[in-house]
Amino acid sequence: MPQMLRFLFSRLTKAIVVLGVVVVLNFTLIHAAPGDPATVMAGEAGAADQMFVDQLRKQFGLDQPLYVQLGTYVGHILQGDLGYSVRQQRPVVDLLLDRLPATVALTMSAFVLALAGGIAMGLLAAVNVGKWSDSVITVLALLSYATPIYWVGLMLVLVFSVNLGWLPAFGYESIGAGKAGLERFADILEHMALPVVTLGLFYMAVYTRLTRASALEVSSMDFVKTARAKGQSEWKIVTRHVLRNAILPVLTVAGVQAGQLVGGSILVETVFAWPGLGRLTFDAVLQRDYQVLLGVFFVTSVLVIVFNIITDLLYVLIDPRVEIA
Amino acid sequence: MSEAATPLLEIKGLTVALPEGGDRAFAVEKIDYTLNPDEILCIVGESGSGKSVTAHAIMGLLPKPDLRIAAGGILYRGRNIVTMSDAEQRKLRGHRIAMIFQEPMTALNPLMRIGAQIEEALTIHTDLDRAARTARVVEMLAAVGLPNPEEIRKSYPFRLSGGQRQRVMIAMALALKPDILIADEPTTALDVTTQKQILDLIKEIQREQRMAVLFITHDFGVVAEIADRVAVMRHGRVVEIGAAEQVLNRPAHPYTQALIGSLPHGRAGDGPAFVPEGEPLIAATDVHKVYKIAGTRVGGARTLVVSDHVHLTIHPGETVGLVGESGSGKSTLARTIVGLVKPDGGRIDFEGADLLSLDRDAFRPYRRHVQMVFQDPYASLNPRHKVGEIIAQGPVAFGMDKAEALARARDLLGLVGLEASAADRYPHEFSGGQRQRVSIARALAMEPKLLIADEPVSALDASVQAQVLALLAEIKTKLNLAMLFITHDLRIAAQICDTVGVMKLGRIVEIGPAAQVFGNPQDDYTKALLSAIPGQGWTPPAARAEGVS
Amino acid sequence: MFNRDFTQAFLRNKGAVGGLVIVAAIILLALFADLLFPGDPWDMAGAPFGHPFEDGLLFGSDMLGRDIASGIAHGARVSLLIGLTSTVVAVLVGVLLGALAGFHGGRIDDAIMRFTELFQTIPNFVLVVVIVAIFTPSLTSIVVAIALVSWAPLARLVRGEFLTLRSREFVQAAITCGQGNATIIFRQILPNCLSPIIVSASLMVATAILLESSLSFLGLGDPNAMSWGFMVGSARTVLRQAWWMSFFPGVAILLTVLGLNLVGEGLNDAFNPRLRRKRKA
Repeated sequence: MPQMLRFLFSRLTKAIVVLGVVVVLNFTLIHAAPGDPATVMAGEAGAADQMFVDQLRKQFGLDQPLYVQLGTYVGHILQGDLGYSVRQQRPVVDLLLDRLPATVALTMSAFVLALAGGIAMGLLAAVNVGKWSDSVITVLALLSYATPIYWVGLMLVLVFSVNLGWLPAFGYESIGAGKAGLERFADILEHMALPVVTLGLFYMAVYTRLTRASALEVSSMDFVKTARAKGQSEWKIVTRHVLRNAILPVLTVAGVQAGQLVGGSILVETVFAWPGLGRLTFDAVLQRDYQVLLGVFFVTSVLVIVFNIITDLLYVLIDPRVEIA
Repeated sequence: MSEAATPLLEIKGLTVALPEGGDRAFAVEKIDYTLNPDEILCIVGESGSGKSVTAHAIMGLLPKPDLRIAAGGILYRGRNIVTMSDAEQRKLRGHRIAMIFQEPMTALNPLMRIGAQIEEALTIHTDLDRAARTARVVEMLAAVGLPNPEEIRKSYPFRLSGGQRQRVMIAMALALKPDILIADEPTTALDVTTQKQILDLIKEIQREQRMAVLFITHDFGVVAEIADRVAVMRHGRVVEIGAAEQVLNRPAHPYTQALIGSLPHGRAGDGPAFVPEGEPLIAATDVHKVYKIAGTRVGGARTLVVSDHVHLTIHPGETVGLVGESGSGKSTLARTIVGLVKPDGGRIDFEGADLLSLDRDAFRPYRRHVQMVFQDPYASLNPRHKVGEIIAQGPVAFGMDKAEALARARDLLGLVGLEASAADRYPHEFSGGQRQRVSIARALAMEPKLLIADEPVSALDASVQAQVLALLAEIKTKLNLAMLFITHDLRIAAQICDTVGVMKLGRIVEIGPAAQVFGNPQDDYTKALLSAIPGQGWTPPAARAEGVS
Repeated sequence: MFNRDFTQAFLRNKGAVGGLVIVAAIILLALFADLLFPGDPWDMAGAPFGHPFEDGLLFGSDMLGRDIASGIAHGARVSLLIGLTSTVVAVLVGVLLGALAGFHGGRIDDAIMRFTELFQTIPNFVLVVVIVAIFTPSLTSIVVAIALVSWAPLARLVRGEFLTLRSREFVQAAITCGQGNATIIFRQILPNCLSPIIVSASLMVATAILLESSLSFLGLGDPNAMSWGFMVGSARTVLRQAWWMSFFPGVAILLTVLGLNLVGEGLNDAFNPRLRRKRKA
């Protein structure tokens, strides 16, 4: 499949450009921030000892012209050096890599849930347009779309953990329970349920609305009339003709919005004490640990690009017209 | 001959209601007609006459819940379709009664292979196994004259041209050898040469299979080409129905008479031939232009030659017509002359200056001398501005006092046959024909020397077409304008142009006096175009009524 | 644009009217917060952890005894202020860039659209958090950060509208009539894409309010202003004991955002009556 390789290559070039801009943006933020770049990098002014600040100043050549500094900065990043967290006394890369799996698990699950649920709901509403099921779905989507993610999380905790006691409210797994194997896996799934639903709900609402609108639009297209003129049944018309065509614009938007989904995980992880990047971000905000914040920005950008490539691939699978060039 | 005695399809007092609050209560009202085996019945009418509604009602395709059958019946072999269950209706649809549509570009599912889409009909209505279905698909694709049926079966619609897609639609419709084929303006979106092929194909298959065809069209040329019988519709009612020969040549109803009377007669050289005198007003020399089409998600970058070293001159008072099929570059040439498209090279001389060598500011004074009337009456007027303002904007841009420009706008509205009070209204309050009049007034406000009309009547109904063409001719004579008239309709070009150029793929393949080009064409392409004009065997009877209001 | 047909279509839409009522109520609440709840919302008004209706406090009190209802009323100001200002900034930037790209096409379009795409790709909320954290939370830094991540979709939309309208025949006619670029942009094209801009703007206010509340939830709100997100965020740790502290401010956000979305959809439907009929069909 040389075509697929070429496609991946073109996406990768695009990804590198995006990451390059993110790096430059990070660099600009460090320098545009109030105060000395070295103290910014070291954390809140006064928090780091003078020796470390001096060391940073030398390491990044802060007495050099700006473009040289940018070069040094990019050089560090190319070597996988995203800085050092004074607060946590660890390299930022290590901190990020520690937390990445939990965030990937959370966002991917939420993404799949939102996409699958949203498309199913939207299609159901479109098929029953004007009937009660359409109204119910539309109202629910409207409400979910207007609710702050973190508040949904808190309310779910209130209902399902505090009142009903069905699901755990915090963490990644039961600490000190000594579970292993399948048991541990089930335990993690239990812990994931609320965070994934919380994060997925908002985007499910987005995709529901999109799918509904898109399916209705597709339903009024000529080729649907053709299918009807063939004597095809309404159900088959939906599954064979409407669905695939209606999904395309949803995928496009889902790709574009992947960034927001990853951003939303900060809030969800904060609410559920989920040990991922979001939780790390929250702590870094509290401690004004800027190196970590900039590192999170970099890593989440990478994550978004991965999501983009996935949606693009899905698009290619569905639409034969896409000539990968 | 007992078959002919029982109609295959009988429409009885069919009334379809429109949603409440519209300007009409019914889309069609008390429609009666019958369709017999082995005949082509043409339903002809202008836009809004309800000619398609009946066809959609037969197929159960009326858009729900906006349109619904309020009264009457549709009898197929004596069984009323209206009262049938959905399942029963579906059994007929695509099996005994099939339909093809106007827009071949959108009528096929873009994400499904051609073969699968035809096969779908076979799967629904037969028990054929996969191999038999495939064989039947290939057979059908070959039967509608598509090359490489095996390959086309596996390709996706976007690989096919409009004409090819319409053939696929026909193959799909005929896959189950239906008794009735409903064709809803199947050639309107196609070029004239493709139209000819599709009409021939439908006629051929109809004769072969002794099928009944219900053919809906707005074009009397097409009617003359294929109809056995004709029903003329207006405002949701059938005003006249009869044998084609009868309706076309001896129309009984005043509306039919007026409609046929307003058709372009397509004869060139009625008046004295135009003799160009002196220097040309405008001369385009060696104009060329290549479009680069940027790569999209749907296709890689391509280049498209739209103007291939074209030469054209227009003299004062001359009407030059450019004819050709879509993509021939006639519009691009017009837009180049008016300064909307920048060509890659060549020169356009106007009153001693090469317009193409001028920069923006130096070109500006020349703008007012060349004005344009556009094709789409609904897109050519800014919906947010009043008509008077629209006409006055040009002169104001050239420094005329606003009040004076608005006063002149009222005069111009009179010149194009509208009330002066129209100046205070917004475009959406006007019909298509009236909007084209406003467009003409806007162009005239600049006092141009050359008027470019880019398909100015192709979006209008026949009766309105005739009026706008008459207005253009009148104004041209009154103001002694030169005109460049662009059209795909050779009958219109023949009627109003002094000189006609035939364009193909960015080149003018033949140019000369209209009478000569149409009477004695030299180029093969011109000949092909002329022979593709539908209904050539028929000469409309002289207009018996003066215009249609 | 806002003619009688429009008004009628809007008023016939129950959701839109409901949304308008909610939004109007929130605006009034913000305007008259000082009259309804005199005194500083940061001051103690009753015993800490007071249940709703205790001590005459409608929604109860928080862990420092502050009146939650008063906090909600005063918090409406920050939400609306930040929502509106950041939207105005984002609309100005988005319309300007979108118009430039759509009108000029070619390389200018390419450059602007690449830039826009970039801003759509990078994780918005993370960027907002980073910016506000580095520049220290204040009304200005919050507004700038939110505007920075909000303009891109609008620029895309405006660019698309301009691209279509630019090739529309009435614009071509304006060119042949010798009208200048500025006249064409501002008199011919822009008025014709105002309705989608207005619709997006109303939805953008909603999104901005959500973003602001998320920031203050994380403790990145303006420290001097009482805000809804802050109230939820600070009550988070006592959720088990005092549900009302995070419940009511959340409802306030939900209602405001819902109202704005309903108004936006109502505007959209009223601007495109044909579309609406199709959707109902």
